[in-house]
Amino acid sequence: MPSPGEPAKAGDTLGLLQDLQPKLLDWGWIGENFGDEILPALIGHVYLSFVSVGIALVISLPTGVLVSRYRKAYPPVTFFTGILFSIPSLALFAFLVTVPGIGIGPTAVIIALVAYSLLVLIRNVVAGMDSVPEETKDAARGMGLTARQILFGVELPLALPVIVAGVRIATVTIIGIATIGAYIRGGGLGELIFLGISRNFPTRVIVGAVLATLLAVIADLLLLALERYLRPWARTRRA
Amino acid sequence: MIEFRGVSKTYPGSARPVVKDLSFEVLDGEICVLVGPSGCGKTTSMRMINRLIEPSSGEILIDGEPNTAMSGTKLRRKIGYAIQQIGLFPHRSIADNIATVPQLLDWDKARIKGRVDELLELVGLDPGVYRDRYPAELSGGQQQRVGVARALAADPPIMLMDEPFGAVDPINRSRLQDEFLRIQEEIRKTIVFVTHDIDEAIKMGDRIAILKEGGVLAQYDTPEEILTNPTSDFVTSFVGADRILKRLSLTRVSEMELEPANGSGEGLPTLSDRLTVRDALSALMGAGVGRGVVEGEGGRRLLTMEAIEGLTRGARA
Ligand SMILES: Nc1ncnc2c1ncn2[C@@H]1O[C@H](COP(=O)(O)OP(=O)(O)OP(=O)(O)O)[C@@H](O)[C@H]1O
Ligand SMILES: [Mg+2]
Repeated sequence: MPSPGEPAKAGDTLGLLQDLQPKLLDWGWIGENFGDEILPALIGHVYLSFVSVGIALVISLPTGVLVSRYRKAYPPVTFFTGILFSIPSLALFAFLVTVPGIGIGPTAVIIALVAYSLLVLIRNVVAGMDSVPEETKDAARGMGLTARQILFGVELPLALPVIVAGVRIATVTIIGIATIGAYIRGGGLGELIFLGISRNFPTRVIVGAVLATLLAVIADLLLLALERYLRPWARTRRA
Repeated sequence: MIEFRGVSKTYPGSARPVVKDLSFEVLDGEICVLVGPSGCGKTTSMRMINRLIEPSSGEILIDGEPNTAMSGTKLRRKIGYAIQQIGLFPHRSIADNIATVPQLLDWDKARIKGRVDELLELVGLDPGVYRDRYPAELSGGQQQRVGVARALAADPPIMLMDEPFGAVDPINRSRLQDEFLRIQEEIRKTIVFVTHDIDEAIKMGDRIAILKEGGVLAQYDTPEEILTNPTSDFVTSFVGADRILKRLSLTRVSEMELEPANGSGEGLPTLSDRLTVRDALSALMGAGVGRGVVEGEGGRRLLTMEAIEGLTRGARA
């Protein structure tokens, strides 16, 4: 018999029944464990996702820009990151913990999450760079802007909305996959879910799942707002 | 002065040159119009001046120095360039678009703002209305005018203008052309102006370079010379069967030598001497009489068909 979340009173038939069919949502437990267990898991999850997307972006931005310039490198880069993307997450986690110097813990999870984001991010950086109108770059060159000034002053600002759209997809994906990271002690909301399953205590599972979903939705909306904010010129205005 | 010396351009992967052995000079303070059918190499020739394209052979001198003497970016900041496709920065306001080169040159803010408003006025856009808009909020013709303002921003001595009024409606185009010619009277820039419209070329050019297929210079002359003495069948057909009339549009009635209309002008139509001879001719024909009275600084003078014919003598095909 799975161990219950709360010790049942021995001999109590009603309690025994509750053990077999535990309450779906135990609000009392949520209230008592919010500060000690739920909040740290949530913060851990935000941390895992944030750091992963951040690192992935630091890799993808220069890679994407270079690849958009040296087109020949694009197919091999998408091939490689595509392979990374297609490895089942559990398999990748399991492999990473066996690598000396990584082992069990958040590091392995972050490496895996970064690996998963690369394909989407690099693709969107390239798509963003490609979306910059040729004549805009041409005019910039014609006025004597240097290659560097064109990159930072014209190309990246114009590509940014498409890049942020990629960050949205990557972030939502990562927030989902990060839950599995608890399997190798990565921390985060997955811990609640795994613990809830192993102890047959659905409240933990539900809290973990709902928070992970909420987190993904909120991150998505915030990034959507950022995307809009970065494209003020696309807003129509009536004079 | 801009000097083309045996300039040819063959694009990589192409067998035939698109510009072939081009040699001509653009004098200081003059508007040189490059005109010719689509694909004859006008844009290519123009872009070799500021080295957006490097010639395959030959060289281009600016004020006696090869244009390769300084870096491409430095050269381009000294040459205003309005590209054919306009190419405004969609993410920057109209004011910031115009301010591009002044900002690169580190002008102070107040000077840039003053310059932006001045240029917007110049191209006929109310600064209060358009300064803070984004390009997407402007019509094609308005964008094109901003493109011209942007090219003029840092007051460069040389301007390259690639079909700068192509997207503007005929009325505004004519107004902009007049305005531009009026400004040019004062600022006397050295301008290379591309168009495929021979009428625009005749109106704007101090000198016209007619290019034909394959980037060969067919004729380089003043508009009068090209209309009066086309040197080849290609030029004759390119300037059109109405070249005599076009020739008349180059002269204003005030520039003609006419007899005073001593009393003989009774009942004749009255014309302004600011009209071009072509428009005056049209007015005379419209009135159904062979003569009219011109009013202007030279007093009342008599304009006759014979006087107009006298102008076109030597230009008969
Ligand atoms: N980057 C390029 N690579 C190869 N060929 C080119 C390139 N740019 C232009 N061409 C070719 O060179 C020729 C001249 O082009 P160019 O743009 O100079 O013509 P144009 O006179 O400005 O024409 P239009 O009036 O249509 O603007 C054309 O046949 C064009 O197809
Ligand atoms: Mg062209």
